[in-house]
Amino acid sequence: MAQRTNDTHERPENSPADSVIEVRDLTKRFGENLVLDKISVSIEKGKTTAVIGPSGCGKTVLIKHFIALLRPTEGQVYFKGQRIDDLSERELSRIRTHFGYLFQEGALFDSMSVAENIMFPIRQHFHITNWRQVEELVKAKLAMVGLDGFQNYYPANLSGGQRKRVALARAIALNPEVILYDEPTTGLDPIRSDIINELVLKFKRELHVTTVVVTHDMKSAYKVADRIIMLHQGKIIADGDADQIQDHPHPIVQQFINGEVGEDDLAVLRMNAGISTSQFSPRDFQE
Amino acid sequence: MMIATLGSKAILDVINAGRFGRFVWRATMSSVRGCTRKRTYPLIWTQMNIIGVRSVPVIMITGAFVGMTLAVQAYDQLAGMGLEEHLGVLINISVVKELGPVLAAVMLAGRIGGALTAELGTMNVTEQIDAVRSMGTDPIRYLVAPRLLACLLLTPVLIIYADLMGVVGGAVVSFLQLGINSRAYWHFSAYGVELWDVAIGVVKGFFFGGAIAIISCYKGFSCKEGAHGVGQACTEAFVASFISILALDFALAVAFKNIYVTFWPLKSLVG
Repeated sequence: MAQRTNDTHERPENSPADSVIEVRDLTKRFGENLVLDKISVSIEKGKTTAVIGPSGCGKTVLIKHFIALLRPTEGQVYFKGQRIDDLSERELSRIRTHFGYLFQEGALFDSMSVAENIMFPIRQHFHITNWRQVEELVKAKLAMVGLDGFQNYYPANLSGGQRKRVALARAIALNPEVILYDEPTTGLDPIRSDIINELVLKFKRELHVTTVVVTHDMKSAYKVADRIIMLHQGKIIADGDADQIQDHPHPIVQQFINGEVGEDDLAVLRMNAGISTSQFSPRDFQE
Repeated sequence: MMIATLGSKAILDVINAGRFGRFVWRATMSSVRGCTRKRTYPLIWTQMNIIGVRSVPVIMITGAFVGMTLAVQAYDQLAGMGLEEHLGVLINISVVKELGPVLAAVMLAGRIGGALTAELGTMNVTEQIDAVRSMGTDPIRYLVAPRLLACLLLTPVLIIYADLMGVVGGAVVSFLQLGINSRAYWHFSAYGVELWDVAIGVVKGFFFGGAIAIISCYKGFSCKEGAHGVGQACTEAFVASFISILALDFALAVAFKNIYVTFWPLKSLVG
């Protein structure tokens, strides 16, 4: 099996010693649309950090910067002290083997079986001479997510929850140091959501990974996270543990975590109430 | 306002041209490296089967109908001048130099190009390409290079199949339907069609295959979200491939003609 090379440690000034990922003054624009506005955050090693916020606030954009799937418009991104936002794709290939990423819809390769999906990162980075050992490894990864026996299934034959678990098994195939979860419980029923939560906790416990979870499921965030960060209009407006977030004085934070519609949104609904009460019939469109 | 709109569009076109140029460069470099990496060979074999082997029937049908139609259309003009036995020269030169390569490439652009764009576009919108990147693998090396190499290597071969069926199709119609003397037909064909003519068509296939693969893969990688985005990318890929085939055909025709004119006088020295 190939060896990972040592990373150079050029830790930026004033950087926490135990931070694995750090972003400094991160700004991201898509055209005229400002998504992230001078965000600075450090992700602590061995801890689980949840990133919460309304839909479209930039949560996924933020964690994609952690693995350099997106490049900042301004600012820097560091992994274990090494700046990564200015590396080439070839240089990033080595860095990314330290990460596992669970995409929102799983992103399984639908032309490959479950086993082939999990083998994919192994085959890309190691010269395999002992296929039985690889099959055992795949079996072990699937067993960790409770899907041993599904090796020959294809993604189209799996339920949503099963697809996510297979994607998770693939994300841990290379024994990563950091696992990034992009809305892992979205689209799942409450029981399957809790299975995913339990897997997040299990991996943290048994694999000693650093975890970042993007979610708008507060129950999930409270269960798995040591630290919760909330994004709003491109900025971090709250940063603390579950108790601190629940007691946070910012009204937007309270509105979000309690799932309450704001006064502005209610005003828009009331304004359109007169229109919505009238029922159109086909005759209305005939001259 | 109109100037601002035009200016924005011009800037966007320049940005897209730059992105395409970078994509072509990365795909080319990955393909060159892929030729020397044994790990890439299984990916290339797979694509060669999908792109090349499975295209043989439709390419042969295309070639056959090209030859047959040429025979029917050209017969009257030649017969009017008493030159019907020279029909083979006209059919075979047209097939091997122009119609065979171009129409085979257009057929491939529709069949293969559309499939490549749809496949890669769907992977793009479902984040599968990002998944490849997140696992430390270059998606250009893994997805584009095998497809590009397969198209580069097999389009010339497919054009040979198209040429062969065009020649056979033209001959069958000429003998059975038009009553041309077969001995005279082949005699004049052998006299009029040179190896150079066949080679031009095959070399054109190399460029056409590259254009189809690069354009289709780029459109897949850069398509917009949703089914509409993928569908639009497929349409754009075919149109761009088609125009590229025509433009390359013209450029290569001019280039080969200049080469021929330059080196033709030397033939008598080496022949």
